[in-house]
Amino acid sequence: MKFIFADSLDYVDPAFDFIADRSPAERQPYWDDAYPHEILGYAPYDGVLVSRGIVGDHRVKGKYTASQARRFRLVGARKFLRLDKPEFAHLEIFGDCGAFTYVQDERPPYTPAEMAEFYDECGFTHGASVDHIIFDFDAGLVGMAGGSAEARQRFDITLENAEGFLREARAMDADFTPLGVVQGWSPDSMADAARRLVAMGYDYLALGGMVPLKSPEIKLCLEAIRHAVPASTRLHILGFAKADDIDSFHGYDISSFDTTSPLIRAFKDAKQNYYLPGDGLALRYFTSIRVPQAIENPKLQRAVKKGMFRAEDLVRLEALALGALRAFDRDEAELEETLHHVLVYSAPLFEEKPHEDCKDSPTLARLAQRYRATLTERPWKQCSCKICRDAAIDVIIFRGSNRNKRRGIHNLAVYQDHIERLDLKRAVEPSDDLPRRLCAAEQ
Amino acid sequence: MTYLAVCAQQSSEHKVLSFAAKAADVLRFATIDRIGRDAQGELNGFQRPQVAAHIREIRDYLEKPDAVLPNPIVVAFTERVSVEELETGVVRLSIDMSAGAPGLVVDGQQRLSALADLDRDFQVFVSALICRDEAELRRQFVLINNTKPLPKSLIYELLPTVGDLPPRLSRRSTASDLTARLNFENTALRGYIKQHTCPEGIIADTVMQKIIMESLSNGVMRELIRGPKGVERCVRLVSNFFEAVKKTWPEAWHGQKPNSSRLLHGAGIQAMGDVMEVLAERAGARSVEDFRDGLASLKDKTAWTSGEWHLEGEVRRWNSLQNVNRDVALLKHYLVGLVKADLRRKAKLAPAPLLESTPAPS
Ligand SMILES: [Zn+2]
Repeated sequence: MKFIFADSLDYVDPAFDFIADRSPAERQPYWDDAYPHEILGYAPYDGVLVSRGIVGDHRVKGKYTASQARRFRLVGARKFLRLDKPEFAHLEIFGDCGAFTYVQDERPPYTPAEMAEFYDECGFTHGASVDHIIFDFDAGLVGMAGGSAEARQRFDITLENAEGFLREARAMDADFTPLGVVQGWSPDSMADAARRLVAMGYDYLALGGMVPLKSPEIKLCLEAIRHAVPASTRLHILGFAKADDIDSFHGYDISSFDTTSPLIRAFKDAKQNYYLPGDGLALRYFTSIRVPQAIENPKLQRAVKKGMFRAEDLVRLEALALGALRAFDRDEAELEETLHHVLVYSAPLFEEKPHEDCKDSPTLARLAQRYRATLTERPWKQCSCKICRDAAIDVIIFRGSNRNKRRGIHNLAVYQDHIERLDLKRAVEPSDDLPRRLCAAEQ
Repeated sequence: MTYLAVCAQQSSEHKVLSFAAKAADVLRFATIDRIGRDAQGELNGFQRPQVAAHIREIRDYLEKPDAVLPNPIVVAFTERVSVEELETGVVRLSIDMSAGAPGLVVDGQQRLSALADLDRDFQVFVSALICRDEAELRRQFVLINNTKPLPKSLIYELLPTVGDLPPRLSRRSTASDLTARLNFENTALRGYIKQHTCPEGIIADTVMQKIIMESLSNGVMRELIRGPKGVERCVRLVSNFFEAVKKTWPEAWHGQKPNSSRLLHGAGIQAMGDVMEVLAERAGARSVEDFRDGLASLKDKTAWTSGEWHLEGEVRRWNSLQNVNRDVALLKHYLVGLVKADLRRKAKLAPAPLLESTPAPS
């Protein structure tokens, strides 16, 4: 099972100075920054997925600047992602349209021909057909029942585009492997789409629209699709948000999936934002410690504007919290004292009150409990990845992109090991009727 | 706290005086952000976006041993200060600190913030203004912070003559230098660029700098400028490209102005900047002839001076294209699409690898 990382310019500045809290003045974004595979010294994934919607163009505003998008198209994906070195030659580069960026539109903004051209021109190894996301998933519908008029229209658009896309890819003798994207409003409608894609000639299918679905629902879809297509048909899950649940998906013979979850959890999840390998095949999670930038954090700035705090005071509390954490890391400060400084600075952020006025609030109590667990365990000292060795306690401070994304990259590395351990487990455990057993257990 | 100050005769309503003080002391007797509450937060320096980057830039400068800061920090007082005249023009200023800092920083808060973090005994000039009341103080704040900045085009033209600039400006400075060379040396664009010192030019200097900065940061000039004779080679590249442009569309170039030919207009120049990149990066074009080959596929598909553009299902009259992001992007997409299609056709005739091939493992 291949773990493909969905990139959206997720790089950090290797020269970032944690003490001065800044990059060198001459830093040039992208050029001086390092992708996960550069800063770790190896790739913590089997491939990278780039969505056209993230790159953007004159119609769809992407995450890349216009100038980066132009460069991407000029030099190709591999060189842009700096995967053009022999040690990364085995990495696959998947492309998709990024259907979420045009989910509101009546039709996808790209034609099958221009997407095929895009993948080919940019040197992708795998390219997904032009799909259109279907909402209103209903697991209970049987056969082709249900499905709103809009859902059915999107179903047809997706299949029509898949057919055109395969034709175009063949006509241009493209170097990438085409993936037919499955969209549907129920497990059976997806199975039907899958069957038709196989009939067109696809042997690699990608399941779209999985992001809002719960794990048991995704499994029902996979089961229906697996029954409808030959065993040799490979399956990819697009935008697999339930990545931490991957061990329960083993029986479905998934060839690959893409996700960005281990990285973004590092700064989007309130609690579980630092990963470590757990007992057996599980992951263990820790809560990172928030010390926002006093004069850059929007919430604190608003409070200053409203006159609730003085910026100078916040800057002082911020420095105390950071100083205490570093001293703690050097064994020069006690845990409770460190925690106190952190909480004093957390009060304006979480409660918009001085610590004195809210020190017994439930929010701060919960926070104290989680932070205490983190500080007691010192998980950053339990990881030997390059990031944790270099950044030390800063990897677990929730603050600014350079710390948060570093933590995300550390998570990627832990996650990749996790996937590998699962694969090892699978090699010894027969997977005869596993899907049925798994689903039966959950329903 | 007391300071010996010089007093200027300016107004009978206010006292204006000047003295030198350590930055840390200024922050003791004056606050930066209290005025924010009185005036809807707009006036507070801490709240402006990019402020942290700006402070950093100032700090980088101030860390240098030869840094100077001749501009004074302006601090206003309405109360708790007294002025004692010692001799004509010389006074002793006493600041009563018993109830906190009585002063308000009216101008120079970014500099002061930068200095606060600096590990250096650095004195600044303080201009102190003693006002009757808060209303008067706010009026002064608005007046002082509302001065008209120098025209950008003049600053940009001066940049190449100034050393040791922050990186943000030094990139602009390189682009400005290349632009000036294109305009004053023997190139295809000589005399064509409108600069502060060349007001009769036709092509806006800011547009020219834009395509050059673009290329310096993410395009072909990024490598070029770092090599031997980098500046000359960049100038030559742009010159050769525009020489080819002139030869491809002589009627749209010679004797034209931006309003009579879209080729000399901001939209056209920017779009052609992208065409230059594609030809230089994908086809390795460097000489006038290389560029002419690449431009040939566009020759009959443009509407620089009359007719219509057929852009992505949109038909636009030649003169309806404006120098706005959307129009520029549309035109870029159209022209670059044609050039790339042409390159693909040529590549099919003589197959070559798409990307520089990486050496095969072992
Ligand atoms: Zn680590």
